[in-house]
Amino acid sequence: MSKFVREELMVNDVRTVVHTAGKGDPLVFFHGGGTVDGFEFAQGWTDQFKVIVPYHPGFGESGDDPTFTDIHDYVLHYLELFDMLKIDTMYLTGISLGGYLAARFAIEHRHRVRKLVLVAPYGLDVKEHPAIDLIATPGEQIVPKLVSNFDVLKKNLPEKPDMDFVGARYREATTFARLFWEHPFDPKFPRHLYRLTMPVLIVWGQNDKVIPVEQVPYWKARIPQAEVMVVPGAGHIAYLDKLDTVGAIARFLK
Amino acid sequence: MGADIRFNVMHFMPFVHLPEDHKDYKTTWVNFPNKFYDPEKGYDLYQQYFEQLVLADRLGFDAIVLNEHHNTVYSMMATPNILASALIAQTRNARICVWGVPPNFMLPNRLAEEYAILDVLSKGRLEIAFPLGTGMEYWSHPVSPVTAREKFKESLKIILQAWTSDGPTTHYGNFYTYRFLNPWPRPYQKPHPPCYIVGSGSPETIELAAELGLGYSSVFVPQKVAQELNQRLRERAAHYGHTIRPEQLPLLNFVYVAETQEEAEREYIIHLQRFFEDYARSSPQWLAPPGYLSVEQLKIRSAGADKMHGGFDFKAISGSFFIAVGTPEKVANLIGEWTERMGTNHINSVMHVADMPHWKAVKNLTLFAEQVMPRLRKSGGAR
Repeated sequence: MSKFVREELMVNDVRTVVHTAGKGDPLVFFHGGGTVDGFEFAQGWTDQFKVIVPYHPGFGESGDDPTFTDIHDYVLHYLELFDMLKIDTMYLTGISLGGYLAARFAIEHRHRVRKLVLVAPYGLDVKEHPAIDLIATPGEQIVPKLVSNFDVLKKNLPEKPDMDFVGARYREATTFARLFWEHPFDPKFPRHLYRLTMPVLIVWGQNDKVIPVEQVPYWKARIPQAEVMVVPGAGHIAYLDKLDTVGAIARFLK
Repeated sequence: MGADIRFNVMHFMPFVHLPEDHKDYKTTWVNFPNKFYDPEKGYDLYQQYFEQLVLADRLGFDAIVLNEHHNTVYSMMATPNILASALIAQTRNARICVWGVPPNFMLPNRLAEEYAILDVLSKGRLEIAFPLGTGMEYWSHPVSPVTAREKFKESLKIILQAWTSDGPTTHYGNFYTYRFLNPWPRPYQKPHPPCYIVGSGSPETIELAAELGLGYSSVFVPQKVAQELNQRLRERAAHYGHTIRPEQLPLLNFVYVAETQEEAEREYIIHLQRFFEDYARSSPQWLAPPGYLSVEQLKIRSAGADKMHGGFDFKAISGSFFIAVGTPEKVANLIGEWTERMGTNHINSVMHVADMPHWKAVKNLTLFAEQVMPRLRKSGGAR
């Protein structure tokens, strides 16, 4: 396992921080709608892949760009970033919001995505099994729902009230709300999923309290060739609850 | 010396009948169940509140102030223009202040039209304030708080353009496109009714008021902060070439007058306590939806909120906010001090709070008009 190296790039004037580690074919990981969960787990991939973890604009260490009002602005951002990093084709993985973004990227640029892994992706408006409202639910209630075993997240949280931490979460919630306050779902999204013709793995924690595992068949119906891996005992961030999920994803990608 | 002092009475028109177990609800806003609203009781309350405001007109108050809130017991004025319309018909002299409709929840041309109708109906008695809308209003509307300030600014520009330029004009903006901005009717007052911006101290809002040369009223900020905000507005307005007049700085305050200090406190404090604890009971999440504040402001306000824990303390709260409770002489003296310190001659008093019974509101209004106003007016008497 190798250590992540931090790199800062200006992508069309947006300060973008990318962490990279490992050798091999490029594997890109898109984080979700917050960054408290970190990406240490991705070290598990660095023996076999060159792992690239960018912070989306408006999240974590990357800068803000209030003109990003639509998920497609992020697709365009990553087109440019991948060109700058000279990444032509890649394995693409993403969780939650990052899963939605990965799917959107792969729909539009499927020839660049060799294999796609969607971990509990956001984006389908499943009325029978809805996600919790990520805007109406207070942040302090969402965090405990992210995993089944809260201990795996605790180390990322401040012990005492910390205004910088509060501010950082508010900033990420703002970025999320900029995309989804008025229109949480794009009703046109499902009809484009047919373009995901590459190998796809859908990973879902059996006990996901953010986006329920019952959404799996709705994704599967739109992406018939997709493999499904339901992780018993795991919550929304399945690979944090069950670390062997990281290896299972690697096996799918190889 | 400037113009004579001006007295407004501001009403919140609360729905006062809270359920027994209301303390079990963390807040009385946004998601407080509306099954607790009883329209028959609502009717009775409207009757009382209108009686109070019509009385204020007869007693010589200069203006009646309405505002807008949603999803809450705090206010039954979700659409204040409708109430203003009814009040115009029942009053003769008082200016009618709608302070105001958050433009982000209406189409700007339509708001310009509604205000113009009220101004014409009242033969030029209308005054307007433009609030961004509290965080709670954004939780209650399908409008993003993230772009609220930008949209607000664009709305204001459209409304002022509609009133100051002969139509049809055009507007091509980020939020609205008007190919024929040409609203009928147009305001009675020229170029338009007096306009203010209402805010809780966000630097962005002050800057906008300064830029447009509009009045500014801070609400629910401590005295010291309010003083700084007024000063800042004067400075920033000067930067844009505007001079802020004292009457452009309405001072929001809470007043109760009685024959003695003891009687005033005995009759009033319980209602003020319920106002802060029950009717204004919000939450940090409601107050600051994502993007409503800058990250910097959020941190400042979160740190402030941490310090405000603890029960209602009348002494502390009346030292911090503009609250005058006591004999006519004491209340007049306090208001006199405030006008000097804040550089205003525009007193905007809340005289009915929370579940205050009708008789107390009538007594308060009457004593204030008959025994406080004459002490402060240069002319000596009521208007």
